[in-house]
Amino acid sequence: MLQAIWLQMRVVASLTLRETRMTFGTSHVGYLWAIAQPVISVGFMVGLFYLIGRQAPFGASLALFFATAVLTLDLYNKLSVSLMRAFTTNKSLLSYPMIKEPDTLFARLTLIALTFLVINALVYGGLMAMGWAELPAHPERLIYAFGTTCFLGFGVGAINALLYQRTQAWQHVEKLIARPLFFLSGVFYIPSTLPPEAVAVLKWNPLLHIVEWTREGFYTNYRSDVLNIAYPLSLAATLVIIALFAERITRKQRA
Amino acid sequence: MIAFEHVSKDYHVKGVHKRILEDASYQFAEGKNIALMGHNGVGKSTMMRMIAGIEPPTSGTVRCSEKVSWPMGFSKGFNGLMTGVENVRFVARVYGCDTEQVLAEVQEFAELGPSLDLPIETYSSGMKARLAFGLSLAIRFDCYLVDEITAVGDQRFRKKSEQALRARITDSRVVMISHSERTIREFCDEGVLAYGGKLYHYDDLNTLIADYKRFC
Repeated sequence: MLQAIWLQMRVVASLTLRETRMTFGTSHVGYLWAIAQPVISVGFMVGLFYLIGRQAPFGASLALFFATAVLTLDLYNKLSVSLMRAFTTNKSLLSYPMIKEPDTLFARLTLIALTFLVINALVYGGLMAMGWAELPAHPERLIYAFGTTCFLGFGVGAINALLYQRTQAWQHVEKLIARPLFFLSGVFYIPSTLPPEAVAVLKWNPLLHIVEWTREGFYTNYRSDVLNIAYPLSLAATLVIIALFAERITRKQRA
Repeated sequence: MIAFEHVSKDYHVKGVHKRILEDASYQFAEGKNIALMGHNGVGKSTMMRMIAGIEPPTSGTVRCSEKVSWPMGFSKGFNGLMTGVENVRFVARVYGCDTEQVLAEVQEFAELGPSLDLPIETYSSGMKARLAFGLSLAIRFDCYLVDEITAVGDQRFRKKSEQALRARITDSRVVMISHSERTIREFCDEGVLAYGGKLYHYDDLNTLIADYKRFC
């Protein structure tokens, strides 16, 4: 048993190194670009809102308010899209009997989570250095929220991988589902201040809860009426269990 | 221990249904070098891929408790965008070997020189086969799967490969597919004939080869 766990860890570690090489290429520029992307998207939106003269919906800093949502969404999107193609691009790896398809998912999860840890540290650290953010009020909530995003992204990504392997047309459906998330996850507004009819719909979006969780972690007095941490967590757990079971049961047919 | 227990294997390709093995059971005798013979398309390479764990059987079980190589010369496991060196390191790491030692052995054996630093997609099929063959030799397996040793490179390299394999089977064993009587006699102790979806065991190579000539 212990040996099996050790073997799997070795496999996932090797795959993660390989993924790093495949994603970022041999140059360090590739890695820089991966980090620069979310920084640029936060910066772009802050600039836009600044130009039209809008105030931060909450707190003093527009940049921090956006960052809490954009970084969460970026991490989630990255996971769900990159895991979707994990099976199809890594087909050749199945020549090595100790590598099973879920290992490729774990490897991508590890790489993306580590990359986003760096991105988060840089963006929030940068905002603090510029005086646009204070130290987080409840750092542990930031960690929980980050972990839940990874968990949920992994569940959705794993299901995407199975469906995409079955039919490549799934990528278009996935895009359709993912596109509106940006507007439904409280990037520009405080969900608790919306009319109850809107909240009744929006609260079905698990990412909205995670964004709220992140904001409660950052601001001292951000009180969310929408947040229910049990919802994103249980949804993520359900998706992960379904995905891993479905993968195992259909492994023979899919080979 | 390698054993097939009630193994059936079907293929469905473009509406064509093909049954390769039908409820076949066979135990590959412990520590013996075994020849796997049969006519083209009878499913020898598929059986080998099932032993290697690359492909699952349609029904039944393939048991394998020793460390088995991938079919030697099989290069589909390489990633074309990564260099030879990167691919070698990756495989060594997955098998838990000393990466630099494996790399050194592959460098010496495959004779690819500076090409090892190029992406595999630039390699010819012969170069890929050399790399895959050298790599499987550099990792210590209990059982080497050899699918037509003649498929590897030119004459000189083939000689070298046979020599290396001969050295290796002093403490490992082979399961070998070959149509060449000479190769079979040189490497194997006993054999199995695949015929009509079933597997037939032969203690004696002479009868195996005689039956192979008669039926295939």
